[in-house]
Amino acid sequence: MLPVRCFTCGKVIANSWEDYKRRVEQGEAPAAVLDDLGVTRYCCRRMILAHVELVDVVAPYQ
Amino acid sequence: MDIDILELSDRSARFILSDVDAAFANGLRRTMLADVPTLAIDEVNIYNNTSVLYDEQVALRLALVPLLTSFDEFTPHEECSCEEGCPACTISLTLSVEAPMGEEKTVYSGDLVSADPKVKAADSNIPVVKLKGGQQLVLEAIAKMGYGHDHAKWQAGVACGYKNVPVINIEGCDLCEKCVEACPRDILALGEESAEVVDDRLLNCSLCKQCVEACGIDAISVSENDTSFIFTLESDGSYSAEELIINAVNTIRTKASTLDNILGEL
Repeated sequence: MLPVRCFTCGKVIANSWEDYKRRVEQGEAPAAVLDDLGVTRYCCRRMILAHVELVDVVAPYQ
Repeated sequence: MDIDILELSDRSARFILSDVDAAFANGLRRTMLADVPTLAIDEVNIYNNTSVLYDEQVALRLALVPLLTSFDEFTPHEECSCEEGCPACTISLTLSVEAPMGEEKTVYSGDLVSADPKVKAADSNIPVVKLKGGQQLVLEAIAKMGYGHDHAKWQAGVACGYKNVPVINIEGCDLCEKCVEACPRDILALGEESAEVVDDRLLNCSLCKQCVEACGIDAISVSENDTSFIFTLESDGSYSAEELIINAVNTIRTKASTLDNILGEL
């Protein structure tokens, strides 16, 4: 799961994740999606860009 | 002291604070970050958690969810007369979600049900945990009013900061245009008699002084105004940006009058 807030500045970023993932999968450029979602600082952007989602892999095993 | 608002939206603000010294501007910044109390989940009683995340991780994620707070209705827990927590400093929220067999379900911050309808998650779409079929999360969370200097979850202001208002002076310009080319933020343009600052672009100056270096005849000087500050702030959602500024100023005022009383008694 994506951390709820940015480690550096504290902005809530987890609510941007689902939109970001869906739009990037549809072929939009990650930078444009982040700008559009209002994630402007590079501290918050790296949180989303560098995130690897593992819930689906781990979830079945509890 | 003078305030000139440049931008003001629900969650962010940008304004020029003038005729104050750096200590005052910094005091305001620090108050917004650490001394404006907000509500955040502090204790979690877990009744059932069969999700992938450990209880502690679920509790941390819930704690970081900003809750809408009314500044006057709650007392910070550490200043409350009770020890265990009472309705004046705490509020209880419950969460109960189960994914149906064979289906996935994401638990969102909006699934938190509060005892007081005014206290709720500021954003209802923050994912807490993803449940696979049959997994369940049932808990009671107790939110307390606290200060940002104790934990980042109580921090009301996000990315609060300021910079000095730039002052650019141009005298004896020979229209060589080197400063215009050197400026990375397109603040300068060539006028009829000398290089000029483009209207409304002055505040974008980052004081990098590349124009000063580029100028061969020292016609341009860049300095900062020591008593004017461009203040930027964002709120995490527990207060609106406007409420955050007002609450920060009230907090400073209360602290100053407390200090005044203590000094008066000496």
